[in-house]
Amino acid sequence: MSLEHSYPILEVDNVGFRYERNKPFIHNLTFSIGNGEFIGLLGANGSGKSTILKLAGGILRQTGGEIRLWGKPLHSYSHKDRAKLLCYLPQLLDMNLPFKVRELVSMGLYPYDIPPALTTGEALEMVGLQKKAESYMANLSGGERRRVFIGMTLLQGAGLLLLDEPLANLDIKYQLEIQRLLRELKEDKKISIVMALHDINIALQFEKVMLIKDGGILATGSPETVLTNTLLKEAFDADIRIRKHETGETYMSYENDRY
Amino acid sequence: MKLSFLMAISFLIFLTALFAGPNMIDPFHMNEVEKEILLSIRLPRVLVAALMGAALGASGAVLQGILKNPLADPYILGISSGSALAAAFGLLSGYYLFGKFSIPLSAFAGAAVVSILVGAFGWKRGRLLPERLLLAGVGLSFLFYAVLMLLISISSYEGIRRAVLWIFGDLSIADWSLIPYGVVFIAAGLYISISRAKALNALMLGDELAHSIGFSVHRERLLLFISVALMTSASVSLGGTIGFIGLLIPHIIRFMIGADNKLLIPVSAVCGGAFLCLADLIGRSVMPPMEIPSGIITAIIGSPYFLYLLRKRDVLGT
Repeated sequence: MSLEHSYPILEVDNVGFRYERNKPFIHNLTFSIGNGEFIGLLGANGSGKSTILKLAGGILRQTGGEIRLWGKPLHSYSHKDRAKLLCYLPQLLDMNLPFKVRELVSMGLYPYDIPPALTTGEALEMVGLQKKAESYMANLSGGERRRVFIGMTLLQGAGLLLLDEPLANLDIKYQLEIQRLLRELKEDKKISIVMALHDINIALQFEKVMLIKDGGILATGSPETVLTNTLLKEAFDADIRIRKHETGETYMSYENDRY
Repeated sequence: MKLSFLMAISFLIFLTALFAGPNMIDPFHMNEVEKEILLSIRLPRVLVAALMGAALGASGAVLQGILKNPLADPYILGISSGSALAAAFGLLSGYYLFGKFSIPLSAFAGAAVVSILVGAFGWKRGRLLPERLLLAGVGLSFLFYAVLMLLISISSYEGIRRAVLWIFGDLSIADWSLIPYGVVFIAAGLYISISRAKALNALMLGDELAHSIGFSVHRERLLLFISVALMTSASVSLGGTIGFIGLLIPHIIRFMIGADNKLLIPVSAVCGGAFLCLADLIGRSVMPPMEIPSGIITAIIGSPYFLYLLRKRDVLGT
């Protein structure tokens, strides 16, 4: 793993954004996502994680600065061309859809006029849903539903996945399952992944973490450099300690957990 | 399998509606009078019913998708009440400027004006917002129905019965003259909606996901809304407002063949057409020479079946 040799896929250059007039929410935001990177976007509720992902995904349009995808302005791509390079999965996905698993996954082919090499069947297999292909969404577990949408993005073939809290509201079993799946995809398909998180323990396992506060980046780097007691206190406004277990694993604990 | 069954049944209904009725026609031994009945009364009537039903079935499927609301039907946007009001104005004021085209023309004008109004109310920051669209439609409906009732209650004109019949859908006035216009508008609406079926599937996933899989959400929603406005307006001006097809047929079809709009829209169109032909056949056959307006028959058959479906399974057919 050598991040030094990675080249940027997405560059966010001095970007500003406001939801309401005269109330800038994000200003002077600058970062880039390199090829093959797996980045965790960590921050408290309302810190701007989702907004940053939506700007990067082209869902929201920045009010200043520039976002470049493969060197070209993001909004100069046609919708279909952009969809082949970049994919954004919102946090709140409608889980009560009247579609079958196979139908949903195959919607990943919509940007293509000529189908790419990967087939719906293969995508289903990669996310382990081949046996559920004919099931309706309502009959799946929380983890399986997430996997349906990840299967869709695989078929879409985008090299960059922007995932907004993909582990939220999942049982721990499914959280692990989705994390394992994403890491496999990153290794096998060389996909770059940026995901928003608010669980510090999960962020500790990432190679690169961006700590977000008030619509800006507080710190970027490896968990050892970013997830320090001082920075976490600033980002979350709570006394958080990162401790090292004797086996070498790091974990988070609260300052006031001795009661 | 289910698909070919549905197509076969629909085809059978179209044929039956042509030859059955208070006067049965034997297709193999027709005399001159029967030929005349078939060509100048039955055939246009069946065609009008098929066109209207197709327009309503397809636009119901589209609207339920773009509004993400299983209870949406083409009339929820106020298009029916607006055109009924315009048609009633036409009937009650007794103007016959355009001859027999007067009523359909005023109905179409009413529908078109209301579509634009609802679109304008639903438009904010350069986009069509589903919630606003829905609420604007409901609001305008109330207004137009109130004015319509006012018109009816203060008028002593004998055309009132026709106005009321119009509101419940009246196919007895069907003849060849309107069919070409209906075909043009409804075919245009069907073409737009079927060619945007993938986009409609995507819109059902939510705007952000639809954007992510490569659709211009606002453009697609506008196009689909235009297709609904075209089809509903044409349908209303052909034979008044007929309830329940737009709401019910898409649900039944979704339950039978699934929710993929590439199939759902065309199959809802065919089955909507067949269902209205059937309702019309029943309406003109049960107590001749009196005719029961088709809108009443569709609601009488439709409502209990809808309630049954509602009890049996989730409305979305999952």
